[in-house]
Amino acid sequence: MQRGGGEGASGYSGGAHPTSGGHSSYRYEDLEFPFCEDSGKYEKLAKIGQGTFGEVFKARDRKTKRLVAMKKVLMENEKEGFPITALREIKILQLLRHENVVDLIEICRTKASQYNRFKSTFFLIFEFCEHDLAGLLSNANVKFNLGEIKKVMQQLLNGLYFIHSNKILHRDMKAANILITKHGVLKLADFGLARAFSVQKAGQPNKYTNRVVTLWYRPPELLLGERNYGPPIDMWGGGCIMAEMWTRAPIMQGKTEQNQLQLISQLCGSITKEVWPTVDKFDLFAQLELPQGQKRKVKERLKAYVKDQYALDLLDKLLTLDPSKRLDSDSALNHDFFWTDPMPSDLSEMLSQHKTSMFEFLAPPRRPGQRPMPHAQNQNIQRPTHNPDLHVERVY
Amino acid sequence: MAFTTESRVNFRVVRFMYEAGQRLRLESVPLATAAVIYHKFFKENSLHDYDPYTIATTAIYLAGKVEEQQLKLRDVVNVCYRTLHKSKPPLEMSDKYWALRDSVASCELFVLRMMNFKVVFDHPHRYLLHYLKFIKDWFEPYRWEDLPIARTAWALLRDCYHGSVTLKYKPDHIAVAILYMTLQCHGVDVPYHYQSDTPWWKVFTEDATIGNLKDIMSDLIDIYDLETSVQP
Repeated sequence: MQRGGGEGASGYSGGAHPTSGGHSSYRYEDLEFPFCEDSGKYEKLAKIGQGTFGEVFKARDRKTKRLVAMKKVLMENEKEGFPITALREIKILQLLRHENVVDLIEICRTKASQYNRFKSTFFLIFEFCEHDLAGLLSNANVKFNLGEIKKVMQQLLNGLYFIHSNKILHRDMKAANILITKHGVLKLADFGLARAFSVQKAGQPNKYTNRVVTLWYRPPELLLGERNYGPPIDMWGGGCIMAEMWTRAPIMQGKTEQNQLQLISQLCGSITKEVWPTVDKFDLFAQLELPQGQKRKVKERLKAYVKDQYALDLLDKLLTLDPSKRLDSDSALNHDFFWTDPMPSDLSEMLSQHKTSMFEFLAPPRRPGQRPMPHAQNQNIQRPTHNPDLHVERVY
Repeated sequence: MAFTTESRVNFRVVRFMYEAGQRLRLESVPLATAAVIYHKFFKENSLHDYDPYTIATTAIYLAGKVEEQQLKLRDVVNVCYRTLHKSKPPLEMSDKYWALRDSVASCELFVLRMMNFKVVFDHPHRYLLHYLKFIKDWFEPYRWEDLPIARTAWALLRDCYHGSVTLKYKPDHIAVAILYMTLQCHGVDVPYHYQSDTPWWKVFTEDATIGNLKDIMSDLIDIYDLETSVQP
């Protein structure tokens, strides 16, 4: 790079001058990027999320006053340049435009200067959604009736149907990644782990990493080491979230991967060749001592929370051990659950009673292992201690 | 025909990219993406302001990420250096290596900002593949076996990235024009086309006109003229 002293040696140009740059009157700080705006156009209001992916802030466009969420791109491992995960998220979100997928407005950057060693920080700018599902579910004052639960699930499955038909896997389904606007529109968010998938080519199985999906929502095939997986991994997470609509807490809060498999066996029955004919292809299947002789108790166990028969049936079909038999999003949307009374109903009225933003980040932490569901026949599932007063940030 | 200095430089740089890309085992679509990133960059910027080989190297590295065929930055730096400086000894682990590595890493951010992170392109590849499969069925099998139509078309497609054809036209139009030109090169017609009211290519792209196709083909021919006017 010749213009811009910050770029260092070029060495590529003809080999005549191994170091170029610095002999120009331009300064790197003064460069204009007509297409990529400065992050200063947004005013940060509050931090609303924190995770391995980085920080998320609520912010406001200084000019239009529009509210947005700013997600900082972590550049920790900058040895290989711009993180491929962030690039995937950007690529995927540019491709996916749908009512039930979070809308990427633009990408901003801070000005490079000597203070940040001429390395800009990048922010992904999203439309602002008032709540996330984990935040809503941890607030006992938020009550969903059956029609509203149907609406949540219908939108969630609609989003999954859309991304799967665009050959994208979300790979991090969990309640905290499901955003809901104050108007009751659900948006799938956080595509930081998402990637494009392809149908397996002859004799060449895909080799994706199986270190994806938050443990409590991780399907059995990933826990057994599958690397050639597909849309069913998101459907399992969808099933876990659906159950959570009634239990109000994650249904299987494993402490380790093996423990998670135990919890799954206790709920969905033992993992055997009878229910899952190809399961013996996994080395881990032989190596791990998985619970034997467990009966499948999905309906029986969830019956205490879920009174609706159609809901129980849909849950049973989503939480199917064998991914090839697990319901896909299209069939799930056609399930009687969505086509019987009470029909899915709008969430905006119920949400209008709540004037504060509810995010998991702002709620007390849910510690793993606290009151896990399995074993207990009559034990109540609860989100760890919760204090609604902690949701102090006012939205309107 | 007189060519601009810019188009000559661009031709040479893309030739360099293809050579380096082949050594890096970069597949055809990522390579096409790299070429488009390069051309887009210099559509907005002047060759006097930025070193084209640094931008080209960065484009190769970035395209690998975009197309899910991620390359190691180390390999890209070494291979590109070696491709460009054939008479010099290979790059050693020295300050120079680290400086080059850093410059490509910073340049990647720079290019991303310049492109406003729009680095996914709809290439003619998948269209051409479909069209080829389609017209194959119109030919007698023995006739098709005789003619290297697919190979010629694929080569034309690869070569068209030496110019900025893919920035100017729609991908399906380019694919049809390439197929049209391929058939002409081999002196064959699409079977039964004279019995039909609509030209065969209208089946693939309704909105293309013969004028479109001729423009694209003439741009393609220019690239080959350009090749002869550029020193090896």
